[in-house]
Amino acid sequence: MRPLLLKIGATALTLGATAASAFFVSSHLKNPAAPLQPAVLSASNGSSTSVLGGTVVVGPSVQPTDEEPITSTYAS
Amino acid sequence: MGTSCGLFAVALPLRRLLAAEAWVHELAARLTRFSSRSELSRLNAAAGEWVVVSDEMEAVLRAALRAYELSSGLVNAAVLPAMLAAGYTRPLAQGPTTAMLGGAGALPPLPEVLRVRDGSARVETGTGIDLGGIAKGWMADELSEMLGPNALANLGGDLRAVGDGPSGAGWPVGLTDVTLMLRGQGAATSSTRRRSWREAHHLIDPRSGLPARTGLDEVSVVAESGYEAEIIAKTALLLGPELAPAYCAARAFAWWLGESHDG
Repeated sequence: MRPLLLKIGATALTLGATAASAFFVSSHLKNPAAPLQPAVLSASNGSSTSVLGGTVVVGPSVQPTDEEPITSTYAS
Repeated sequence: MGTSCGLFAVALPLRRLLAAEAWVHELAARLTRFSSRSELSRLNAAAGEWVVVSDEMEAVLRAALRAYELSSGLVNAAVLPAMLAAGYTRPLAQGPTTAMLGGAGALPPLPEVLRVRDGSARVETGTGIDLGGIAKGWMADELSEMLGPNALANLGGDLRAVGDGPSGAGWPVGLTDVTLMLRGQGAATSSTRRRSWREAHHLIDPRSGLPARTGLDEVSVVAESGYEAEIIAKTALLLGPELAPAYCAARAFAWWLGESHDG
């Protein structure tokens, strides 16, 4: 009688744990809108422009201007 | 160092501007590989011996080691033998020499070539260091601090701007076809369109030891500093057009990726 009770108890415990796990997982669905790793592919925050021969991306922390540049990165 | 330099500052006494110019000349003379008497050439020629180095040289060498780490090995200052083999043996104004690329191979890891400790450094026998872009970015950052709170220093295209600029809206800097206002930021371009000759150019891919051919031939970047911009631009160019956009998006404030015509 006692082994039977133990089997029933173990089975009930297993089923309970399975049901609880399934409930937890289904109530914590992965958010498909969650960002990936740190800011990778966050270019959408800036403006991307295709120009002849390549692409320019300007993020939000840099302001484009119509002023004449006083220098450039092509000095060498 | 075979390049030009531009120093800009608002409300800075002339003597400080001249002092900064003198510092540039002094450092350039120490860090160039084109003079056998430079501090860098003496280090390269010491054949595995420990050599006493200046504070500035030690700082740039440490910056080179950090650049190697930050770029996962793509920015490797142990590039000198490969550059010489490609024909870049003297300033390009004097013309390149004959390329000898037959024995090219992957560059050795920089930490195995260069060791630095307080006040001295050692370069392994049979290897060599070129500080090129790393030195320019590092010097631009140092100069921007030296020149005061509202200044811009441009070392051969590696630059850093601090303060609000002459108009109060930032320092207008050309990056390919756009002009960007920089404040407390650096910028750099890595390109194989310049410093190129015949079928070769100066930008060596450390994975092959050969002039890089990745599908990108020019990358410009705005980042926290001139030093970082230099590393990011060179790494992105070496990563090529598939990986460079995500790499730049994670590290740069703005960037230009120029595709090469020969793929």
